[in-house]
Amino acid sequence: MNADEIDAQIRELAAGRRLPPSHLARWLAMDPASRAAMLDIARRLRLRTGQLVTALETLEEISVREHVTVAGVLDRPEIRRIAGGPGSAPSRASALLEALRTLRYPRLKKMQEELRSEVSALKLPRAISVDLPSELGSDELTVSLRVRSAAELAHLLEALARSRPGLARIIEMLGGKK
Amino acid sequence: MKFDLDAVFVEHGCAGSALATRILRALPRHVPVTHVADARAVPRSASGERDPFGAGKRRMVIAQRKTPFLMACPAGSSSFACCGYLVLTLASNCPMDCSYCFLQEYLADNPDFQVYANFTDSFAELDRLIGNARGRSFRVGTGELADSLALDSLTSISRDLVGFFAARENLTLELKTKTDEIENLLALDPRGRVLVSWTLSPDAIYRSSEHLTAAPAARIAAARAVLDAGYGVAFHFDPLIAYPGAERDYILLIDELLDMVPPKQISFISMGGLRMTPRLRGAARSRFPGDPMLCGEEVLASDGRFRTFAPLRLNLYRTLADRFRKAGAEIPAYLCMEAASVHERIFGAPPSRPAIIGERLARG
Repeated sequence: MNADEIDAQIRELAAGRRLPPSHLARWLAMDPASRAAMLDIARRLRLRTGQLVTALETLEEISVREHVTVAGVLDRPEIRRIAGGPGSAPSRASALLEALRTLRYPRLKKMQEELRSEVSALKLPRAISVDLPSELGSDELTVSLRVRSAAELAHLLEALARSRPGLARIIEMLGGKK
Repeated sequence: MKFDLDAVFVEHGCAGSALATRILRALPRHVPVTHVADARAVPRSASGERDPFGAGKRRMVIAQRKTPFLMACPAGSSSFACCGYLVLTLASNCPMDCSYCFLQEYLADNPDFQVYANFTDSFAELDRLIGNARGRSFRVGTGELADSLALDSLTSISRDLVGFFAARENLTLELKTKTDEIENLLALDPRGRVLVSWTLSPDAIYRSSEHLTAAPAARIAAARAVLDAGYGVAFHFDPLIAYPGAERDYILLIDELLDMVPPKQISFISMGGLRMTPRLRGAARSRFPGDPMLCGEEVLASDGRFRTFAPLRLNLYRTLADRFRKAGAEIPAYLCMEAASVHERIFGAPPSRPAIIGERLARG
């Protein structure tokens, strides 16, 4: 396929998905290899409009951050595995967006994993929820208890007291202490 | 003059002012000067249609300011631990072009570079301020909606300001800049009432995002020069941008600074993480689509701004604060547009009230 044919197919797919004109323009402004790679993955995973918008935006940001082309990002092993791997198109589309987000926010993802693993290591009773701030946008940890009796409350407070060092470590991590 | 202007407009009634006379005398001949009845009627530049904000930076309007010059810092909010900074608006917009600059949103509807011919009227406002609050001290800066020194070779406003503040016990002037335009200052005696502050960023940010500014090394050299001339100096690490490798680069920058300026002679430092409303982020990215500093690991925070996710941002604050602490001097420090709880995490104590911080910083 030559570049004109690829652009025509991008326009056709964008029209079918009602992709916002600004996003179509951004897609068409990519280098030829990136335009084609994006078209290929959009078709293979049958990306819906919202998914296409998110993928375009995230890929653009990764390419600016890392000084690479969109085609270069889509050619990475973890992305190729998703594009050509087993599973339904919708599940692979979700996996693609998640993988792109990990590339876009590498330190945030790593930190979230570390914190989740710290929370899970506390092994708290199910009636105690430890909620990390959304996207780690703040340094505030939410701990909530669900109780129906004084005895239950006492039991949960004891469990919390035992987990105090672990909770304190999580609070310190949220505050940027390594 | 380091910065190019495409045009100068002079509002009716300002032509004979001292400021207009100075500017028109120093202006290169090729810059057209147009007299207009009202600054609001200045026609928009046709060439600036694609980037009206960028075009506005190169169109100076000499006008009368009709509203008060003195105001509380517009960044202030009850959600943040503020520094009690008072802003004197003597100009609006800036000839430099930092990709992250909040003016891209704040002045989006009025981007022409305005300077106010009646700026000395602000002196009466300042005298009223200290007259009504006897015994209190105030830190007043001109670097919020404009760079304090960027066009000083053209306007020489610093001479009037330093002269006024040098004679006022309870006022401290802060001239905030990213330039090394200090020639006028070196010829004046601030009598301990004026400090010059620089925003400092590592080279990576300077090269990527701080267009037309002086290089960080030149800013530090200028700080040393004004210090030797009797001025106080302060440094704003704002915006802190947590790009990969930022921690190491900020430490190197601080080391470079402390080699030139002894910590005991730094009046204060401030820090503030990159923060952008969605509208500002959109404007900045559209004007600077290739700037990686605008594609960091920012998430939408509870105040509606995109900020670096909290642990990474707070870690960077702590890294800088620790480095200054290790330098062996208690340099007063504050965080800009952060909650009191963050302040407490970084400095180990809750912040004082804004008025008290302001007073402390004013007294030096």
